[in-house]
Amino acid sequence: MSALPRTAEVIVVGGGVVGLATALALAEAGLAPVVVEAKSFGGAVTGGSLAGIGAHMHGLPEYDLMRAACGLWRDLATDTGNPFEYRAQGQIGFILDPRDVASGETWVREERALGADCRMLTPAEASEVEPLLTGPIVAATFAPDTATVNPFLAARTLLRRACEKGARAFEHTPITALTVEDDRIRGVQTASGERIAAAHVVLAAGPWTANLAAMANVALPLVPRQAQCLASVRQPPDTLRRVISAVEDAGGVNSGYTQIQQAQSGQILFNTVTAPTATPPEAKDQIREVPPGFVVESIDMLLRLFPALAQIELLRSWVRFEAVSPDHRFLAGPLPVAGLWVCAGDNGSGYCRALMLGRYMAGRIGGGASLPDALIEQAGRLYDPARFGEVA
Amino acid sequence: MTARLHVDVAVIGAGPGGLAAARAAAEGGARVVCLDLFAAAGGQYHMQPTQPESRFAQTPQVLSGRDAARAARSAGVEILTRTEVFWVAGTEDGGYCLSACQAGAEALSIRATTLVVASGAMERPLPFPGWTLPGVIGAGAAQRLLKTGTGALPVPGKAVLAGSGPFLMAVAQTFAKAGQPLAHFVEYRRPNPRATARLLARHLRKLAEAFGLLRDLRRSGAERHFGHIVTRALGKDRLEAVEIAPIDASGRPDPARVQRIEGVGTLAIGYGFQPVTDVTAALGADHGFDPALGGWHCIVDPATGASSRPGLYAAGEVSGIGGASPARLSGRIAGSHAAAAALGRAAPDAAIVAPLAAELAAARGFARGLAALYPPLPDLPLDLAPDEVLCRCEDVTLAEVRAAVADGARETFAVKMWTRAGMGPCQGRICGAAIAAELRRAGTRPEAAGFNRPHLPLRPTPLPVVRAALAAERGST
Ligand SMILES: Cc1cc2nc3c(=O)[nH]c(=O)nc-3n(C[C@H](O)[C@H](O)[C@H](O)COP(=O)(O)OP(=O)(O)OC[C@H]3O[C@@H](n4cnc5c(N)ncnc54)[C@H](O)[C@@H]3O)c2cc1C
Ligand SMILES: Cc1cc2nc3c(=O)[nH]c(=O)nc-3n(C[C@H](O)[C@H](O)[C@H](O)COP(=O)(O)OP(=O)(O)OC[C@H]3O[C@@H](n4cnc5c(N)ncnc54)[C@H](O)[C@@H]3O)c2cc1C
Repeated sequence: MSALPRTAEVIVVGGGVVGLATALALAEAGLAPVVVEAKSFGGAVTGGSLAGIGAHMHGLPEYDLMRAACGLWRDLATDTGNPFEYRAQGQIGFILDPRDVASGETWVREERALGADCRMLTPAEASEVEPLLTGPIVAATFAPDTATVNPFLAARTLLRRACEKGARAFEHTPITALTVEDDRIRGVQTASGERIAAAHVVLAAGPWTANLAAMANVALPLVPRQAQCLASVRQPPDTLRRVISAVEDAGGVNSGYTQIQQAQSGQILFNTVTAPTATPPEAKDQIREVPPGFVVESIDMLLRLFPALAQIELLRSWVRFEAVSPDHRFLAGPLPVAGLWVCAGDNGSGYCRALMLGRYMAGRIGGGASLPDALIEQAGRLYDPARFGEVA
Repeated sequence: MTARLHVDVAVIGAGPGGLAAARAAAEGGARVVCLDLFAAAGGQYHMQPTQPESRFAQTPQVLSGRDAARAARSAGVEILTRTEVFWVAGTEDGGYCLSACQAGAEALSIRATTLVVASGAMERPLPFPGWTLPGVIGAGAAQRLLKTGTGALPVPGKAVLAGSGPFLMAVAQTFAKAGQPLAHFVEYRRPNPRATARLLARHLRKLAEAFGLLRDLRRSGAERHFGHIVTRALGKDRLEAVEIAPIDASGRPDPARVQRIEGVGTLAIGYGFQPVTDVTAALGADHGFDPALGGWHCIVDPATGASSRPGLYAAGEVSGIGGASPARLSGRIAGSHAAAAALGRAAPDAAIVAPLAAELAAARGFARGLAALYPPLPDLPLDLAPDEVLCRCEDVTLAEVRAAVADGARETFAVKMWTRAGMGPCQGRICGAAIAAELRRAGTRPEAAGFNRPHLPLRPTPLPVVRAALAAERGST
């Protein structure tokens, strides 16, 4: 690994999918960023992700941005020869409670009005689309264009491509201080005491972003939330064909969710959460284990939907920490210190948004046209870090 | 239904270390359960035959194992075999909750005030060209085939035993005792009679054992090749031939002097052992890296067996490879301390434990001496073809691992993320040494490369068993 540079035009702090996508977009805009990652690239929540890429049931205000985000992943797969297992698997939103059918129908109607190709399925149709889905569902939504990517390989592709286009990346390089003079960012300092001077610094450090912003006396309303997943030993290909998720009236992670899918490797990945796990702020710096209640709920839901999987073996589990904002949307844009930027607050679906957000950030920092104007305007409105009032 | 148990001390592993710990804890007045995944207590050293007419049924190693298990039982230990511990977690009251799978299908949940982990060792596989061909097995696996089951190797053809370390001679001895012909014995190191004599002079009790090993190596009839290495295993669908070459001064095989052995049915290969640290690592106890102790091992205070985590003790190979006698001694020490701690008593009588600690230091000294005679190979001893598989669970090749390292993977965890090496059923136990060697080649020391931290479950476990055990832990059903 080469030595850390003394100066950079832009420094991106955090080498998860969001930081790497930002670095790629900056590099494409000719801004030669330096990415610094505290540990291993993609090793935090990025590497624990199910990496579903889809706009279905993510809400209407963000719908166009989500569609664009999905399109960018599809294009990247095409441009790179798809080294990261992009697959348009389609997504089934299962409904177990008759009272939830109406919300499924509302999602479908509203998304169709915006041009989506989704539809409702009867239980019989659902088991045609997903043969082992023989559990007691009363209906389902179906979004054929939802895709998945391999979270490790996708992050690695972004890293490699960013470096090919002029970015420089350094792992095991935690940032421990931000240098601010006259209300302007001047650079960063690493744990080993090295300094990099830069006119722009982007904080894309997931749940650690608020700690970093605090180093510049900026308070960000981001808190960590524990998320976790289980994986079975490999099953034959096409045991599961789609991304399986729950349809819930309120939507969003806090009201409970389920996501089940089979990875290209054959492992079945599944999680069900009925209530968020209490997450003290220091938890994100500890190695945590999945709570027993989560394991029981996840197994119960998997086997309720897919009774045929009753005898498969559990292989492993993992815990990660997501960053959550009060309105469950990203904070992406400038902070009150000139040259200091934030892009964090993924609320559990930042993989999908990463390329879109990277473009948005690069456009804001470099001034180039990175997304269509209408989307830039929408992103500016939805993701403005100042929307919760004074943050400094 | 989930069976539940409440004990003072739980012991994981019923090898020499675990049995000694369990017995000492029971003698210290504790209620003790000792769990092992094998069908019979005894662990590796006392491996019990599965056939009554086995030639090994009356060997001292087998009989002493039976005695150790009997003594533990009469001290009040409940020994549960075919019981695989797939998870251990700390409880709020500072104790431990163990989740186990019995006979592959039943859930068992155990609460214990203190825990002794005596999970032993496993072979340290090092890939070489052709290592995935059917017919290539671990030296320990060959030993198990001979000691249990029908007592013969399952395939016809010559047998070749290769690798490095004193254990290789123990396996040759097993061949001799089983009456199984051994064609070739290939040891990487050259004999060092002076250093060996010096070591034995300091540990005279080991003399008879050493002579026995040498005698049986000769008795096995094998052609002996010291200072040689197997450079390749060849065959179409299974092993047919083996190539060996002498080691030159730089420690590498001399390609000009390769010798081919035809008609080989079994190649048993062993480069030593590594501690089984999954339980202690999952509990977050401090681990250290020392090649002479088999690499990563759980750090314990030798005077008490205590790990860095309160209430967690470790004994035997998990605290560093040393063989059966350090295992037994460290087991007794850890068991007595674990019992005292569980019962809220003062530390066990120093008059009893102090001599054990002195004996343990001597036994560990001998093990260190042996390790110095046979220094473990730090790197892959051979150049591999890029398409050679390193991770057999996920079919990850050397080229893929090198590409990940070139792309910036600097630790075992990063290689795992980018290649899947270590994400399969063995969770990195088998490929760990090879990945560490590759990272070392690229400039990352093993201490910095780290190891794959285990998570629930430690071993693949059927979903209903996981569910039942964890629901019991949670207090519901
Ligand atoms: C089980 C699970 C399933 C998911 N499923 C989906 C899904 O289907 N679709 C989807 O879109 N999203 C999904 N997500 C969410 C998605 O993975 C995240 O939104 C996304 O990975 C966030 O990326 P990030 O780069 O913001 O965060 P991270 O990956 O956490 O990256 C932040 C990085 O910053 C580094 N860092 C921290 N402090 C410092 C410092 N001081 N100096 C330098 N570096 C620092 C960290 O080490 C880390 O690597 C899922 C998440 C989980 C856990
Ligand atoms: C394959 C092999 C063959 C060996 N052969 C010999 C030999 O012939 N002669 C010799 O002197 N030494 C031999 N050894 C060395 C051996 O490690 C020591 O002699 C001695 O057995 C160590 O005692 P121990 O109690 O530390 O571990 P072990 O004897 O290995 O006992 C550990 C026990 O823990 C159990 N265990 C581990 N994890 C779990 C879990 N999660 N749940 C339930 N049970 C678990 C295992 O089944 C095992 O029975 C061998 C080692 C290996 C790996």
